[in-house]
Amino acid sequence: MPENQGGGGRGESAGDKAREEFFSEAQEIVDGLSRDLLALDDVCRRGGSDAELVNDVFRAVHTLKGLSGLFGAAMMSGLSHELENLLDDLRLGRIELTPQVLDLLFQSVELYGRILAAAKGDAAEPAAEVKALLAALGQVAQQKGGGGGSVVAQYELDPGLLGVLTEYEEHRLRTNLQAGLSLYRMRVQFQLSTIDSALDELKARTRPHGEIITFLPTGEGGDAESVELEILVASRAPLSTLQGAIAGPHISIEEVRRRDGAGPAPSLPPPRQTTSDSPSSAFSLTPPTTAGEAYPMEAGTGMQQAITRSSMPAPPLRVDDSILPPIATPPQHTQVGAGMPPVPPPPAPRPEAAKPERELTLRSVTQTVRVDIRKLDHLMNIVGELAIVRGVMAKLEARVRTDPELRELSSDIDRLHRSFDRHLAQMQNGILEVRMVPLGQVFDKLARIVRQISREHDKQVNLVIAGAETEIDKLIVEELSDPLMHMIRNAIDHGIEDRDERMRVGKPPVGTIALNAFQKGNHVVIEVEDDGRGMDPAVIVAAALRRGMVSENEAREMSAKDVLGLVFTPGFTTKEEATSLSGRGVGMDIVKTNIGALGGVVDISSEVGIGTKMTITLPITLAIISVLIIEVSGRTFCMPLASVEEAIVFDESMVRTFENREVMTQRGQTVPLARLARVFQLEGYKPGVWVNEEAKTPKPPEVRPGQKPKAYVVIGAVADRRVGFVVDRLIGQQDIVIKALGKSLKKVRGIAGATELGDQRVGLVLDAAALIHEVLASQGEQRLQQGVGALETSRVARLGQGDSA
Amino acid sequence: MKALAPRKGEGRSAMQRADELGKRAEYLAFALSTETYAITIANIAEILKPLPITEVPRADPEVVGVMSVRGRLVTVVDLKRRFKLARTFTMDKKSRILLFEGTGETIGLLVDEVHQVYRLSEAEIEPPTVLGSEQPPYVIGIGRPLGGAVLMLLDLAPIFFVE
Repeated sequence: MPENQGGGGRGESAGDKAREEFFSEAQEIVDGLSRDLLALDDVCRRGGSDAELVNDVFRAVHTLKGLSGLFGAAMMSGLSHELENLLDDLRLGRIELTPQVLDLLFQSVELYGRILAAAKGDAAEPAAEVKALLAALGQVAQQKGGGGGSVVAQYELDPGLLGVLTEYEEHRLRTNLQAGLSLYRMRVQFQLSTIDSALDELKARTRPHGEIITFLPTGEGGDAESVELEILVASRAPLSTLQGAIAGPHISIEEVRRRDGAGPAPSLPPPRQTTSDSPSSAFSLTPPTTAGEAYPMEAGTGMQQAITRSSMPAPPLRVDDSILPPIATPPQHTQVGAGMPPVPPPPAPRPEAAKPERELTLRSVTQTVRVDIRKLDHLMNIVGELAIVRGVMAKLEARVRTDPELRELSSDIDRLHRSFDRHLAQMQNGILEVRMVPLGQVFDKLARIVRQISREHDKQVNLVIAGAETEIDKLIVEELSDPLMHMIRNAIDHGIEDRDERMRVGKPPVGTIALNAFQKGNHVVIEVEDDGRGMDPAVIVAAALRRGMVSENEAREMSAKDVLGLVFTPGFTTKEEATSLSGRGVGMDIVKTNIGALGGVVDISSEVGIGTKMTITLPITLAIISVLIIEVSGRTFCMPLASVEEAIVFDESMVRTFENREVMTQRGQTVPLARLARVFQLEGYKPGVWVNEEAKTPKPPEVRPGQKPKAYVVIGAVADRRVGFVVDRLIGQQDIVIKALGKSLKKVRGIAGATELGDQRVGLVLDAAALIHEVLASQGEQRLQQGVGALETSRVARLGQGDSA
Repeated sequence: MKALAPRKGEGRSAMQRADELGKRAEYLAFALSTETYAITIANIAEILKPLPITEVPRADPEVVGVMSVRGRLVTVVDLKRRFKLARTFTMDKKSRILLFEGTGETIGLLVDEVHQVYRLSEAEIEPPTVLGSEQPPYVIGIGRPLGGAVLMLLDLAPIFFVE
């Protein structure tokens, strides 16, 4: 028996923890990446571009690369490497941000998600897809354009200076000049002792008027205590403004003229010094090596230009590193490690371009704490234990109160008890609050999906999100993305018309899907609404008839709501042929099942020609629910109050029998009856729970003579289905912390979980939806009519299966 | 001769290795009806006197019910019914519940009595085949510690492992 694993086992669990942190960190970065891309897409569609956003994306991918390298996630690291190259080309303007490039970026976000899922063991590694994407990235990389170095060439800039610009600086220079900004050269003398602060101050003064492209020491005019820097500034402002803003005793500013410009240009002394850590090596100059097909070669020239320019030998003189702050060196690796706090940025002034990375990562780490939800469950369990302590305290107090000599002690205990009670409630609420996350988490993912689907489908869709800040239990959010994705796919595929059709019916050419979330009491409502063609009841009925889901007679008797409900039937589809998006007949039934599993309901309303609205109603948390505590044959059960319509006194005379089915009439409606004792075959068991001698089963409270009713009916309702459950007693209403039954009891139907009722007793929580469904299904009715003997047989049969497994 | 004597450190590490390889393992012996069984203590988290147990309708017959151990739900299984040694649950003063971990779920094992922990060397364990060639997979051997006790050694993971 291998049992003594000692330190090896511990080491492994520590590694697991680091891995888990890696996963959640990587997931967080991928989520952020996705948001940035969406913003970029938005900017791009409006015809602009945003250098800072591209930088953000670049940094995110760079961090991912570092992280995945640290954890030996080869596939992720490979993908990140190629992406990094692409993004580098993008931010240096070597390639353009086209919708195709954006598609690739979105695809890679998708793949990151799948790689992460695979690494966690949830799915297979998307090896083929990654390979395909890498190939596509390689192709894009070959399309690099020159980006117009000619603009720069028109200015009277010294080739030596151009040679020492980093690629990023060169790109900024080119971009600014192309945008028509003027270029200024500043020469500033700095005292070596104050150069850091003086440079910062200068930068701050310049920033409102323009962008500092680079600064380099001139090698002139300096002495042992001072150094002269040449600073290139691009600005829209005229020279006079700049002079007014920045002028000082040791500052001279002049405009860099165009070569074709009038007037003699002042000759520039070549800068003879550069920093020792020439940063161009940080950028990948070689095209990605991934094999791609040969592409039209107008790109080639640009590539060559880029290479020749930056492989130009740097001027020979070197300057001591301590004199100058590093120039715009892109970080080679980030400080983000598993669980390690990032190192704060060095205090040295850094040029604009390289500044934000470390600050950003630092901020994201300090503002939030990632907590495993199991830890919260553990805390919740402790709160449960404290509730038991509270119960004991109450008993103690009651005992002390009977003794007149201890009156003072009694009131002290009473005060203590109340205070304890209050704080316990606060603690419970606090833990619940921590479990809450904004729905925006899942909405962000959906925005990406909408973009992808609408592109695949060549439909223009605008996603409008409201209420993303609405909070809901973390566990629910996790389970929501699939159902919502299905609904949105359906809305785009079936709902939104294509552009021509929309124009023809007088709708705006771009379709709208609205995601709207809000809190309503103890529930969260999420609406998915589209302004598409709506659902035609005639088409739905025809499709259902064709697939034999309803008979002609049934179809004729269906209400409009029933007809819409047909789309939740497994296998239902109106499409004759499946597309990549939908039409396979899986989808809405799964949506309904998934939402149902979370204790929620889905409703549809639709108007032909106007649109469709689906409404999901969910409980705010899965952890705490209000229940009605009932008793059947001596056992205690909890019925979720959300599913209880009303509870009334039961009398045998209320029962009518139709075709061997017991029903009753309530508020003019027929309600099927189910005797819970019979549904659970409780007659055959001894009542009560097993106890040892010390812990006695609490006795039911005395029922006063003359008031004793025989039984009650609890009318359970889920959506518009109702069943009356006959029970012995109603004990009361309570908010409980619901816990899942162990895995070995998963297959038990009709029980949703269990909770502690105090006195160490466990009460089972009924799964109202499943029970109602079971009772209404024809098999359930047969089961009710079967004798106990037949049921015993089926139990034995199940036991047999358990043995062979 | 002196050269042949093992150095102190080597001798100890050999002993440790034997333990790591499971040549000497600790088993908790308990009674079900008249028979004595034992499982490795590595999987036993705790031994409890019976707590209130709530029966679960529709569960398999060997499931006694669920109980709460300091806020945690535990499914209690009657090993006697599982091994077909009895048809009904019995509990008395000697009854104990062993908290068994190792299958991703904590299971309470209802046993009639807990005896003691045996430290078995390899020589004290016989293979299950001595009982015949067809043994259920959870019987992993027969323990014969000094003193004459005979223990049926069990590995319960195959019984409780649920996907």
